[in-house]
Amino acid sequence: MTNRRFLIPSLLAAGFGTTDSLHGTGLPSDHVGMDDDHVGRTAMLRLFTQDHLVSLAQHRSHRSHSSHRSHSSHRSSYGGGGGYRPAPVYTPPPAPTYRPPPPAPAPRYRTPAPAPVPLYGNPPPAPAPYDPGTGETSRPGLGTPPPPPSLSGRSPRFASIVRRVQIALLAQGLYQGSIDGVVGPSLRGALRRFQTTRGLEVTGTITAPTLNALRVSSD
Amino acid sequence: MIPLALQSISEAEQPFVTRLRVATGTADAADSILVAEDIDGATFAGRNGLVSISGSPAAALDGDVVLVSSGVGRVERLLRAGGLEIPTNTLLVTERCDQLCLMCSQPPKKTHHDRFALLTEAALLAEPGSLIGITGGEPTLYKAQLLDMIETVLAARSDVEFHVLTNGQHFEDADVARLAGALYDRVTWGVPLYARQAALHDRIVGKKGAFDRLQDGLAVLLSAGCRVELRTVLLSSNFTALGELARYVTTRLRFVEAWSIMQLENVGYARKRWQELYLDHSADFGPIAAALDHAHLHGVEAQLFNFPLCTVPAPYRHLARPSISDWKRKFVPECSPCAARERCCGFFEWHPDDEARSGVRPL
Repeated sequence: MTNRRFLIPSLLAAGFGTTDSLHGTGLPSDHVGMDDDHVGRTAMLRLFTQDHLVSLAQHRSHRSHSSHRSHSSHRSSYGGGGGYRPAPVYTPPPAPTYRPPPPAPAPRYRTPAPAPVPLYGNPPPAPAPYDPGTGETSRPGLGTPPPPPSLSGRSPRFASIVRRVQIALLAQGLYQGSIDGVVGPSLRGALRRFQTTRGLEVTGTITAPTLNALRVSSD
Repeated sequence: MIPLALQSISEAEQPFVTRLRVATGTADAADSILVAEDIDGATFAGRNGLVSISGSPAAALDGDVVLVSSGVGRVERLLRAGGLEIPTNTLLVTERCDQLCLMCSQPPKKTHHDRFALLTEAALLAEPGSLIGITGGEPTLYKAQLLDMIETVLAARSDVEFHVLTNGQHFEDADVARLAGALYDRVTWGVPLYARQAALHDRIVGKKGAFDRLQDGLAVLLSAGCRVELRTVLLSSNFTALGELARYVTTRLRFVEAWSIMQLENVGYARKRWQELYLDHSADFGPIAAALDHAHLHGVEAQLFNFPLCTVPAPYRHLARPSISDWKRKFVPECSPCAARERCCGFFEWHPDDEARSGVRPL
């Protein structure tokens, strides 16, 4: 008799029995002794009923390198000994005050090489030593006016390729405009016609496949 | 310093986003492929046509996701690919802000140029496993666009995570359901909190009522089960209040993932007010040590950002993160014999050299 009386409570305590009774031991508000209308209280309860708790658990499982904190990520090596992966560093662009002055009228590269620029599929074997001194050194702010046109090599290089495209399209009878190195409406039209006849993606722009098909690189 | 913007000329009539590729094998529709290179720079061609870039060899640009302006202008390297163990980049979504922090490293501007569509395009092209930072200005001034961008990217890219810096002034109860969504498991909110005393916090951020509003905002994030990193920049004015802040964090804000105590960056407003604001922690580390101890004893992960290792007492060095981005990090000559450089944050490019040099003790 005595044994029987204690058997059932013992089984319950050990986790046997109906699931309903176990659910009943959750966190009803009266157990916590707080008013259910209390804003913070409902918010706290909501925290534990988020639909993404399941996903959080999945996160844990694939972050197997985590140390003692369940939210530690597998990237913990990034931050050294701690289990917490440092969040991305706050890297605001430097204030405009420290933007270096716009390129002086005496550019580093006064004369871009007049030699034919190697084109697509034919990269130069050994580019000359790179001088990083020409780049801007700050992340630009939004709406910052573009730097003034400089005498650096980009404009001649850009124009040289555009001219070759114009010549190639002229030779094919698809372009009647001038050979000026400028991408205008008539060149765009010619590019579209060429791309259509060759079955290329029709963009009206100078794409890599278009340069290939025009054989500009073999000029 | 690694340049984040380079001069360029493109045939496009509108700004566009593209990924630069040196090798053609991996190209997809969004890529621009190298077609020419010379001593000045490199020329790429993609769906939006030709773009010539000055000031960088092509190889250094390989894989970068860039924003190209139309015509003569610049390419902005939004997501740099080169050499980072975890590709970590920061997108600036606005320069407007509703606070005016004494030490703001990037003083706000009145106008907003909306480029969320372009930034979304860029984030979708991020390197695998990228952690993308969002900053401003105050990103949540454009909360609807911001959350749309985050959700669009995270839904398409299960390998990407975001970290959003926000002053926490604009979250409302109505946001809880949305922020509780599963996609936000991969978003961490970096929220600045400078003091437990409302008046002091408000004075530092230049906005009356900011502390109270921040408490409401943190409550929303807590309700949604969001991941929060608190950030406290060390200043002469809040240095002695650090202990009270530590107790506040460990009692009221225990849910945070981490608490970052940050040393000041000598740029923006902080540069002009350096003498007034800067607190030399190597002279008195005591209050910082006490705050760190208190946080750890109570189960809150506290860490140090922008503290060169040799300036931190040995027992706390493991909490100092290599927190300064590569593109603006420097070491001084005295650092050259140091064996700990790999793990050290170094100095901000604009940190006064004499101060840096006198404080360095190679490890």
